[in-house]
Amino acid sequence: MKTLDVYDPAMCCPTGVCGPDVDPALVAFAADLKWAAEQGVAVQRYNLGTEPQAFAANPAVLKEMEAGMDRLPVIAIDGQIVSTGLYPTRAQLAAKLGLSAALPKTAPQAGGSCCSPKSGCC
Amino acid sequence: MALPVIATRYAFFTGKGGVGKTSLSCATSLALAEAGKRVLVVSTDPASNLDEVLGTPLSSKPTEIVGAPGLFALNIDPEAAAHAYRERMVGPYRNILPAAAIASMEEQFSGACTVEIAAFDEFAKLLGDPGATAGFDHVVFDTAPTGHTLRLLTLPSAWSDFIASSTGGASCLGPLAGLEKQKALYAATVAQLSDPARTTVVLVSRPETSALREAERTRGELAALGVRNLRLALNGVFVAAMPEDSVADAMTARGKNAIKAMAAALERLPRTEVPFLPKGTVGLEALRGMGHPAGISVSRSSSPADIPPLPPGLDPLVAEIAAPRHGVVMTMGKGGVGKTTVAAAIAVALVRLGHRVTLSTTDPAAHVKYALDVDLPGLNVTCINPELEVANYRDDVLAKAGGALDAAGRAMLEEDLRSPCTEEIAVFRAFARTVHQGRDGFVILDTAPTGHTILLLDAAEAYHREVLRTEADMPEPVRLLLPRLRDPAYTRAIIVTLAEATPVHEAARLQEDLLRAGIRPFAWVINQSLLASGTTDPLLRERGRYEAPFMARVTQELSPRTALIAWRDTGID
Repeated sequence: MKTLDVYDPAMCCPTGVCGPDVDPALVAFAADLKWAAEQGVAVQRYNLGTEPQAFAANPAVLKEMEAGMDRLPVIAIDGQIVSTGLYPTRAQLAAKLGLSAALPKTAPQAGGSCCSPKSGCC
Repeated sequence: MALPVIATRYAFFTGKGGVGKTSLSCATSLALAEAGKRVLVVSTDPASNLDEVLGTPLSSKPTEIVGAPGLFALNIDPEAAAHAYRERMVGPYRNILPAAAIASMEEQFSGACTVEIAAFDEFAKLLGDPGATAGFDHVVFDTAPTGHTLRLLTLPSAWSDFIASSTGGASCLGPLAGLEKQKALYAATVAQLSDPARTTVVLVSRPETSALREAERTRGELAALGVRNLRLALNGVFVAAMPEDSVADAMTARGKNAIKAMAAALERLPRTEVPFLPKGTVGLEALRGMGHPAGISVSRSSSPADIPPLPPGLDPLVAEIAAPRHGVVMTMGKGGVGKTTVAAAIAVALVRLGHRVTLSTTDPAAHVKYALDVDLPGLNVTCINPELEVANYRDDVLAKAGGALDAAGRAMLEEDLRSPCTEEIAVFRAFARTVHQGRDGFVILDTAPTGHTILLLDAAEAYHREVLRTEADMPEPVRLLLPRLRDPAYTRAIIVTLAEATPVHEAARLQEDLLRAGIRPFAWVINQSLLASGTTDPLLRERGRYEAPFMARVTQELSPRTALIAWRDTGID
């Protein structure tokens, strides 16, 4: 079984609805991960704000963070980093995972934090 | 007996701001301590004045009150609790993760929700963990204003539902996910609250219609949460000693009518009454007086009181506000000082000068619609209703982001929208929108009680910084909010107070908080003055004389300009 690990920037919630403004790309990505899980991929999502231990325990992710916080989100498949700094579309995700074609949902977007830090939400 | 009888280990005093929750909970606790019990008084109010009322400096640990053996008190400071929580979560990673990562984690823990939840966490520790208060016979909570309290009380069940129904993996509890482990503690907290053998809830009210209405609303909401051991404590019941004084007669009639008109379910509760007292309720001596009011002497002398020169009424203030022909006026202060009445009076005066005015409230215990029966062309009364705002926000988000989603994605989005953060955000956006309207006309905002207001302004500050950093797709009203609140030509903050010890002290603290946030108050309004009312009733006159030094402190030390409003029967509270 393939594993998909997502290392998110510090954020409040995976869809971003508690930020000052909602980012449709994040909402779509959260849905796409759920879809991937239904296709049999073991999906794990780590939020820097609440699960810093996952970041601390992964030297490759630490190295990316030292290069710049804009490298988050870091996405790894079977432990290999496959993308940094953006949330891929469902089609890109499917291709990287070797899954059959799925409807693309959104254009690629820069990975802004969802619940924008300092949004006052949490 | 003037004070409520507490037979349970835990007691809560709740009610509309300014009804005397702190005084009554302290007087009741003092009476229990003097009957030989060991009692702990706890304040969870972000603007607690427990120290002042008990005359002893307090901390977050139980401190014995000077002059009252067996009586202890502590303040739960939400800001400090949030800071401690943040340090607990971030501290261990300080030398492991890059500095930028630590900074971004800290940012996540600096918002309004963290403060709110961290305070609740402290509160749950005291209530849900019997070991935390093992040395005491009674633990008495002087709770925060009603809307706030209810949110605290309903959170655990909301969270239990939320955690149980979470299907999307990482839940939107966000930085507070660590608290999921505390589920058992929260369950114990709710169990304690609804067990009549362990918890008494005292609904505190003044003999006033709006305060009694609020008490009835709270009674209904607590009953729905399964809390049934309820009592009603009426504070400040006044009966004129001799007829023919119009102020005393109006006050007597108003109290009687309000009590007569109270809801049947409220009337059935066991009830105690503290009479109107001629002096404040600060200090142990005054608190003992609440329990034994017959022992308080009133000077019955009929000579007219020496009335110092009094500040002018509202008119000069309104003239200054009207000059720029538009802008925002925020009336701010502790609950019960009459922010709504003052906001309505300013709004009506501006309309009479020919201006178009929107009168709006962010008070969770919104009652502006009760405070204004007049129907003036040019006056628009609106209310920031949290439930409505959340519904609107949810519709906005679903329309903007939900369209491209499949059923599962949509379900996940709807789940996140049920999170406790959503209300804070939705209300904030409505607040920004209302302030935006001050560009073209007058907007008078009757803001929420002190603690909540500060949280709101904190959120504004957080947004402000965030907006400058991202320049994202931000609505104009949100982008301009903080600069506008800080611009004295755009926003005039008016501090409303009563000429009494606690309200003046609270108002001075509010002014400091506002100054820290870069907002310089425009004026102070001293409301409901008996000294200025012309009453000849001995009890009311003695109370009026007690106002003079507080009035002097406001005009001489605190306020750039002051307006005074005499007590009068407005038919509203």
